[in-house]
Amino acid sequence: MGRISDAFSLVWYRYRIQVAVFVLFLALWALFFALNPFAFTRPFTYTSLMSTMPFTIVPALSLTYVIICAEIDLSFPSVMAWASWVLATSWTHFGPNLLGVILALLAGLVAGFLNGLLVTKARIPSMIATLGTLFFWRGVVMVCSQGFGIPLFMYRDALLFKLLVGRIGGFFPAQMIWTIVLAIILWVFLNRHKFGAHVYFTGDNRTAAQMMGINTDKILIGVFMIHGVVSAFAGILATLEVATFWPSLGEAYLMKSIAAVVVGGTSIFGGSGTIFGTFFGGLTLGLIELGLLAAGVAGFWINLVYGVVITVALMIQVLIRETEIKREAREILSKELPSPKS
Amino acid sequence: MSIEDRSEYLVETRNLIKRFGDVIALRNVNFRVGYNEVVGLVGDNGAGKSTLVKTITGTYAPDGGEIWIKGRRFKRITPKIAKALGVEIVHQERTIAENQPIWRNIFMGRELTNSLGFLKIREMEEATMKLIKEMGFKSEIIYPGKLARTLSGGYKQGVQIARALYFKADLVILDEPTIQLSLSEVNRVLEFVKDLKKRGKSCVFITHNIYHVYPVADRFAIMDRGRIVAEFWKSDLSIEDLSNILVTIARTGTIPVEYREINLVSRPLEYASS
Ligand SMILES: Nc1ncnc2c1ncn2[C@@H]1O[C@H](COP(=O)(O)OP(=O)(O)O)[C@@H](O)[C@H]1O
Ligand SMILES: [Mg+2]
Repeated sequence: MGRISDAFSLVWYRYRIQVAVFVLFLALWALFFALNPFAFTRPFTYTSLMSTMPFTIVPALSLTYVIICAEIDLSFPSVMAWASWVLATSWTHFGPNLLGVILALLAGLVAGFLNGLLVTKARIPSMIATLGTLFFWRGVVMVCSQGFGIPLFMYRDALLFKLLVGRIGGFFPAQMIWTIVLAIILWVFLNRHKFGAHVYFTGDNRTAAQMMGINTDKILIGVFMIHGVVSAFAGILATLEVATFWPSLGEAYLMKSIAAVVVGGTSIFGGSGTIFGTFFGGLTLGLIELGLLAAGVAGFWINLVYGVVITVALMIQVLIRETEIKREAREILSKELPSPKS
Repeated sequence: MSIEDRSEYLVETRNLIKRFGDVIALRNVNFRVGYNEVVGLVGDNGAGKSTLVKTITGTYAPDGGEIWIKGRRFKRITPKIAKALGVEIVHQERTIAENQPIWRNIFMGRELTNSLGFLKIREMEEATMKLIKEMGFKSEIIYPGKLARTLSGGYKQGVQIARALYFKADLVILDEPTIQLSLSEVNRVLEFVKDLKKRGKSCVFITHNIYHVYPVADRFAIMDRGRIVAEFWKSDLSIEDLSNILVTIARTGTIPVEYREINLVSRPLEYASS
């Protein structure tokens, strides 16, 4: 085999999942466009997609780190609400300034730190630990807010407000810019920084990572904290978009964000996954939702569709894993016969 | 200075103790590795060989005793310190991340970075390419970006050995390196050990296959149920003697009388000056 075709197959092998997700996204878009050219030629459709998808995609980006570590965080919807309540309360008392945003992000950091401690130090499986904190933070929000919402629409003209969720040029949602910026930052740290390298090792082979001197507890706590802060940021965006804190904020995103990650090709077995995949996985889901609504399917169907999408994505993951393991075993047997050179 | 305050060996343990709950895996182990020496550490499954080397390299904290490396005394040690002092270990368990390319595996936990922690990817890939050539891998199918899970067992073992090579260890500990390897792959590991010796380095070679270790070792240490029960110079033994001794130890827990004269346990080692 020639060097060029080798190099090509290497690149293809490495990026095959990203390519697949991207192609899926384009194919669905083309399909919906053909089915409903009226809705999909109007700019409003895309403004709507880009204004709501960040709330799904942003927590999904950092959730990708968690799932690469072979862990899960179910608590982030409540963390979004908790950060949102902190923001709304701060703004109500001190005005619409940076202080409220910083406090809200800190609230997310604390929640993430707690998750990290429960998983590493108390050694509770993350599935259970974060199910606990999911209820805990929702409870905190309910107690603090007494179940009432907090209106924030009087701050609509504040600079910070426009910076976070304004419409650039009157139509492009600022939150989409933030989402892209965040995706780039998280991509860089995952792929170009030592921390990201250790995230992959922690998920791929934790004992080996430890034997090679990596403090996997530190990595895990760090990952849960990042996810806490980023979820808090998503909570801030979601709150400002509708200019109201409401106590059940975030509940809708549990399924959606997890779906974005698994549709994006991040392995639930840990050790592999990409930010690019999650980003387009999230957009694909938004497109599906929009396409269904545009086609006149009732909103009640959306959850059902998400359930099906997640299940199918997981089935495909398991299938790919099994066939790849088989194929690699065959390749190893056929190609790498002991070499006489030494 | 009294003898207790110094160690003339590259690595030495004194009365090293390690417990796992009720199991005492190491019972006052006195183990030593000289400079430019290959030590064959042999003994039955469960004798405590892996526990000994894991305690020396910091994976386990000892419950008693001392570890000396290059004349420095430690009550316990961390993997970082051991590596910084030039002691590398290739564990019996595979320390490989299957979904990562070879170059990331070689630098696992010791990535080359700038001061902000960003990876020097090009440098690591180039170093990996050099290692691949140095180790005599067939370079047309093995390249730095190849995922570990597409490698055969021998090459995975090679990746682990390449780490020791890159980080220029003074002592390389190989824990059962030849298990599950094909004949030519075993030979490659033995070549690597001979090469270490030639370059003035030391090696601890753990195995229960004495046919693998006999040709490359200078000295043997035999473990049984948490103790080092016998040590011999290779020059004092034939491979039949060694096998005879191991069988007797497994059966009775003691070494045959006729070999007691040459047993080096609790005697200082006198290296032939060459
Ligand atoms: N992590 C551990 N936890 C509990 N017991 C262990 C652990 N590692 C080793 N042991 C026990 O210590 C003894 C020595 O094991 P090991 O050092 O692996 O032996 P060897 O490498 O010579 O086969 C065995 O009885 C084993 O069951
Ligand atoms: Mg062992």
